[in-house]
Amino acid sequence: MESLGYLMDGFAVAFTGRNLLLCFVGCLWGTAVGVLPGLGPLAGMALLLPLTFKLDPAGAVIMLAGIFNGAMYGGSTTSILMRIPGEAASVVTCIDGYEMAKRGRAGAALTIAAVGSFVGGTVSIVGLMAVGPLLADAMLTVGPAAEFVLMLTALLVVSAVSSSPPVKTLAMIVLGLALGTVGLDQLTAWPRFTFGSLDLTDGINFVALSIGLFGVSEILLNLDEAAPQVPRAPRLREMLPTRQEIREAAPAVLRGSGVGFLFGLVPGVSHIISTFVAYAIEKKVSKTPEKFGHGAVAGVAGPETANNATTGASMIPLLVLGIPAIPATAILLSALLIHGVQPGPLLMSEHPQVFWGLIASLYLGNAILVVLNLPLIGIFVSLLRTPMGVLAPLVLVICLIGVYSLKGSPLDLAILVGAGVVGYVLRKFSYDVAPLLLAFVLGDRMELSFRRALTISDGDYLVFVQGPAARVFLAVLVLIGGLQLAAMLLGWRRRGAAAP
Amino acid sequence: MRGILRGVVAGVLAAGLMTGPAVAQDYPARPVTLIVPAPPGGGTDVFARQIAEAVEPILGQKVIVDNRAGGGGTVGTTLVSAAQPDGYTLGFVWNSPLTTSPHSLTVAYTPDSYAPVMSIGYSSYVLCAAPDFPAATAKELVERIKAEPGKYTYGNDGIGGTMQLAAERVFAKLGAKVRPVPFGGAGETARNFLGGHVTFYGGSLPPILPHVAAGKAKCLLLTSAGRNPALPQASGLDDIGLGAEETVLWWGLIAPARTPPAVLAKLEKAFMAAAETDRFKDAMDKQGATRRVLGARETGALIRSELAALGTVAKAIGVERKAQ
Repeated sequence: MESLGYLMDGFAVAFTGRNLLLCFVGCLWGTAVGVLPGLGPLAGMALLLPLTFKLDPAGAVIMLAGIFNGAMYGGSTTSILMRIPGEAASVVTCIDGYEMAKRGRAGAALTIAAVGSFVGGTVSIVGLMAVGPLLADAMLTVGPAAEFVLMLTALLVVSAVSSSPPVKTLAMIVLGLALGTVGLDQLTAWPRFTFGSLDLTDGINFVALSIGLFGVSEILLNLDEAAPQVPRAPRLREMLPTRQEIREAAPAVLRGSGVGFLFGLVPGVSHIISTFVAYAIEKKVSKTPEKFGHGAVAGVAGPETANNATTGASMIPLLVLGIPAIPATAILLSALLIHGVQPGPLLMSEHPQVFWGLIASLYLGNAILVVLNLPLIGIFVSLLRTPMGVLAPLVLVICLIGVYSLKGSPLDLAILVGAGVVGYVLRKFSYDVAPLLLAFVLGDRMELSFRRALTISDGDYLVFVQGPAARVFLAVLVLIGGLQLAAMLLGWRRRGAAAP
Repeated sequence: MRGILRGVVAGVLAAGLMTGPAVAQDYPARPVTLIVPAPPGGGTDVFARQIAEAVEPILGQKVIVDNRAGGGGTVGTTLVSAAQPDGYTLGFVWNSPLTTSPHSLTVAYTPDSYAPVMSIGYSSYVLCAAPDFPAATAKELVERIKAEPGKYTYGNDGIGGTMQLAAERVFAKLGAKVRPVPFGGAGETARNFLGGHVTFYGGSLPPILPHVAAGKAKCLLLTSAGRNPALPQASGLDDIGLGAEETVLWWGLIAPARTPPAVLAKLEKAFMAAAETDRFKDAMDKQGATRRVLGARETGALIRSELAALGTVAKAIGVERKAQ
């Protein structure tokens, strides 16, 4: 009850004219960088960071959090319309969102994504207030060993995402893991597969890789088709989800909120993991899993809700421990430190106006964003009226500029184009590239946590079954693995029985 | 061959266009680009932008910050070293690409490829233990880790990185062995330290300060020679007689080698004045950094001695690549 009073004070901070304006500017800019492929929340926040030098700390974090939030709303747009991930959290939305668009349901998909984002965002802020400190303490028990088991579990869960046969999925996972090893090895300081390039010591750029594999390959595939289909101009009625679609989306939104919130605590890669896991869960619980990959509504609603729920959760380590777990919250930390505000266990008592102002602005930002995004849907969908011959080169140029603007690295452009060609070939042979991307992201962290754990234990492998966190994750791993195995065996028997 | 020819032609043309002394007098006649080899948003970027703002009125020109991240700062530093030595491309760097990376990566620059201009100050690294660790002072800490070689672990910012080499430099002098566990940055190290997964926190001050205040950590030893007012209980290396082994995170300005000496002198003066402005002092204080404004000569000496000392450490722990 006491915190409710503080929250009201927070709203008083957020509702001042200037902070309201800052929140709106942040949301608007965030939506823009989310929509533009290449620029994500990280770049969007970093670009405006110098502006916050002159603001007070509450205003600074309010604006930056607005950008972070806005990017999660905007990211789905190009995923759905053009199969180009606007940022990392929207990779998985490409799969079914784009299929929906192809079927003339782009408006419905965007509406579901926006409303789902609102619900997910709001749920996660409530969660942040209610159980934030508790979860932060739980998070500390996850050491390298437990983190490895967790990553392994995520990889197993998500291998279910793929629409291609297991052998092809496995091939993609291995390729992704292999690509993830490129770069400077943190444990030996050896450059691996960098061929002397200093640029490559940071590893292959994920943004370039994902836009190439999904977006550029799609453009190439479109060129392939003799007569590219021009989507019809949608009417207003077609923009709204049908009753059936709402029925399919609603439970997915609820599940997505929970998944997104919990996985928001996974350090480093929370947005990608949470969206993939949300997608995998939707596919598992669906009565019609065969519809996934062909425009399943839940396949958009789940992940798009999850990424916004993740945003709120990812603030927990920053606000409660003063430790950013993902790069975007590291920028928030920077903004606070510039003003001499040190987040951590004492933030709430030392700087209540910053803490509660931020929380209140997150609520406010969500409301602003849903109001801002719904009318935009009509404009975005009408973009599809542009003939493919005009749209494709335009989009390609935007992708190139977006990727180049990240680091100004020509190598990233080569990766973008190369990944596009590779993605095109793979998809021609009906390999699903989603597992490749996920394995790429997880592989690097999995390897690091595996080797860190063994460094700490001095080579003792028992470290992976010690400690409460590792045991819990291990139990989940065994359970899911067992279920998958059982399902596979059962499937064989049924098929065996069906054959005369 | 053609490249050389083109370079010569360009050089002759350039020489024809500007005459020696006039250059320094008119400098800067157009905006100056300040390459920052770090991504936007981090500590180095923040200091770069603030010193750029402070120096603009002094130079009477715009200073444009250009972030060129990659390879732990080596990508941007390479760009600065290879830039036209006319004073219009400078680099605001932290020490890692200058004195640490060259040991583990094949970089295209040496201390002869760039000219040090000045440095603004530093931030120390610190070694912290859990509140119940059986040592209350740096001396007791040293005794403990010497008594139990290889038993304890310390989190750091990456093997072969400045933080790890800073710690190993001290351990080597002490004859102590503490096992390094590399993390993705001081924040991740702090999380694993607070969760009890490593014995010691090793990293910069800001991530650990709130936890010291909350009684979750006690910081015992800094990697700077002197003490730090933010952590009164932590000893500096001077206190254990190893002041000469100081390795800290510091920031400074470099220019391409062969930049006209008059331009370098002008830059040195301007940036040193900028570092003394109240606004910039305030910015450094708020971020917990210690001001220590050094001129070109002292900064250059620091780079060379640090490069050599860390090279010895890198070789000793087996991360040096030069031999291969």
